[in-house]
Amino acid sequence: MAFAATAWAWPRTQQQPPPKEIIIGGGGQRFAVPDCIPRAGDEASREACRTLTQVLRADLRFENIQFVPESLFTALPPLNPDNPNYEDWRSVGANFLVVTRAQVTGGELAIETRVFTVDGRQGIMSKRYSGRADNPRSFAHQAADDIMTLVQLRGVARTKIAFTSDRDATKPPRGKELYIVDYDGFNAKRITVNNSLNILPAWSPDGRSLAYTSYRQGGPAIFVARIYEGRSDNITKGDGQAFAPTFSPDGKRLAYASNKSGNMEIWIANADGTGAHRITSSQGSDTAPTWSPTGQEIAFTSDRAGSPQIYLMDSEGLNVRRLTTVGNWNDAPAWNPSKEYSEIAYTSRLEVGGPVTFDIAVIDLATRQVRQVTSGRGSCEYPSWAPNGRHLVFSCKRGNTWQITVSDREGRAIDTLSAGAGNNVQPDWGP
Amino acid sequence: MKRHTTAVVLVALVLLAGCGGKKRPPAVLSDPSQRPSSYPAATATPEPEQPVAEGPDIAAVNSGNPTGEDFSVNDPSGEGGPLEDIHFDYDRAELSDEARATLEKHGLWLQNHRTAKVTVEGHCDERGTVDYNLALGDKRARTVREYLVSLGVAGDRLHTVSLGKERPLDPSSNEQAFAKNRRAHFVVSR
Repeated sequence: MAFAATAWAWPRTQQQPPPKEIIIGGGGQRFAVPDCIPRAGDEASREACRTLTQVLRADLRFENIQFVPESLFTALPPLNPDNPNYEDWRSVGANFLVVTRAQVTGGELAIETRVFTVDGRQGIMSKRYSGRADNPRSFAHQAADDIMTLVQLRGVARTKIAFTSDRDATKPPRGKELYIVDYDGFNAKRITVNNSLNILPAWSPDGRSLAYTSYRQGGPAIFVARIYEGRSDNITKGDGQAFAPTFSPDGKRLAYASNKSGNMEIWIANADGTGAHRITSSQGSDTAPTWSPTGQEIAFTSDRAGSPQIYLMDSEGLNVRRLTTVGNWNDAPAWNPSKEYSEIAYTSRLEVGGPVTFDIAVIDLATRQVRQVTSGRGSCEYPSWAPNGRHLVFSCKRGNTWQITVSDREGRAIDTLSAGAGNNVQPDWGP
Repeated sequence: MKRHTTAVVLVALVLLAGCGGKKRPPAVLSDPSQRPSSYPAATATPEPEQPVAEGPDIAAVNSGNPTGEDFSVNDPSGEGGPLEDIHFDYDRAELSDEARATLEKHGLWLQNHRTAKVTVEGHCDERGTVDYNLALGDKRARTVREYLVSLGVAGDRLHTVSLGKERPLDPSSNEQAFAKNRRAHFVVSR
């Protein structure tokens, strides 16, 4: 074993139990994240450390964790990673200190991450991670999510985003395939390889499957791809044309739009396609279902009143009522999965006249107040929530291409994800 | 026989993919004896499993080769075929007089080619949302089908598919392209 056992002896002087709850934000708690310390002088270990530092900081910053500026660290004496001098870190205003060490040995990366509370003068987290050295980013993501549990936050650093792209469509007919990327846009992987149209992906709650619409057998049908097995099943065989599947929060059912009854309606089936039944019945087209976090309600789009608007109903199709009233085109609802926020994001044409462009809006279900998340970024559509409900992903057309775009709930921090070439659309944020 | 071979190849591919995707779970290195007991146990979560692409799909779309004399089967570019496209107004699924006239010609052609079957594709321009356009394309295709049925074409010869805004004929963003893309396209097979 590469690590000397003594390196992991904790300071024995302070052994109070770790604090039960630490609130971020309001208390102005600040994290110091000094550079990762390589345990060996080789370039591979140093390179891994550089990546770990950069990704860990980015992951924490993404969730709005407050930092002590790194420029203040240079004035401090060298850090003793086993027994930090808490006074040093208090002097730069740190409440928490995150210490990471890493070593690459023969293609294996081992990292250690410790978190110390400067005020409590003790360690409150110690984790070691090891695995193949080819993706140090995944180590940083894991460590970041573990650190965030200390501040009562379910991090999303290990989550992935699925989307549709035409990047590999080299010749007509222009196909679209499904891809997944890490939440920060790295590690794009292609999922479908059939050169047909594969669109509207939706994650299963366990993150192992994607439900989507595929034209590979002619008309559009719902498929479920088991992405770690490389297998895909048509679950609406011979069942009309079906679009826009979405898993219930327990993963047991799928809601989707189908014209099997002769008109586009919302249907529900078990996740394997059995037990399919229609739950809406209207003259208009009913599409784009999304489940509430409890699975007891469904929001969907209908043009039954003339223009597309968002409606709510219970998950068996009863108690239908209209939700949106502002704007003459509201579509693609996405229910915030966090029980903390009772709200639905959707695509809205808020400015009428001029070119047809769309923005992302969010409606508060209690007050019916609408807030606009995007504005003046070209056309944006198809929102999906991060599993903790703190961010949105959608696609925006800027210039001539559509790109995956990530924003916080309020639309204050908006970034285009570098998810690769082509038009990248219809993102779905996975668990 | 061909199908059988395909199945074997698929199974082999799936098995290969399964092997490739299998990762040794990383070891948890933490030694609990080296931590005060008040600390939570280190639980290094395994390195994420790597997803694998689906096995290659056997395209089942319009596999029968044409033997007919004067029409070609499904032109994948979406631009040819014996039955010309009809066009729609923005955000509408109603048939214009011009579209009706064209469909009447198509109806005659279908009476003269009684073995032909037609897939009516409903397409939209890029404006508007994905889901809405899929529903609109569905409406357009079904409106065309109903009109052809009203002209005496047997319903079981007419199949509809909505492509929404997913496969525009002209991907550019201008009025000319939009007008071209708001269409019903006819894929003929037998």
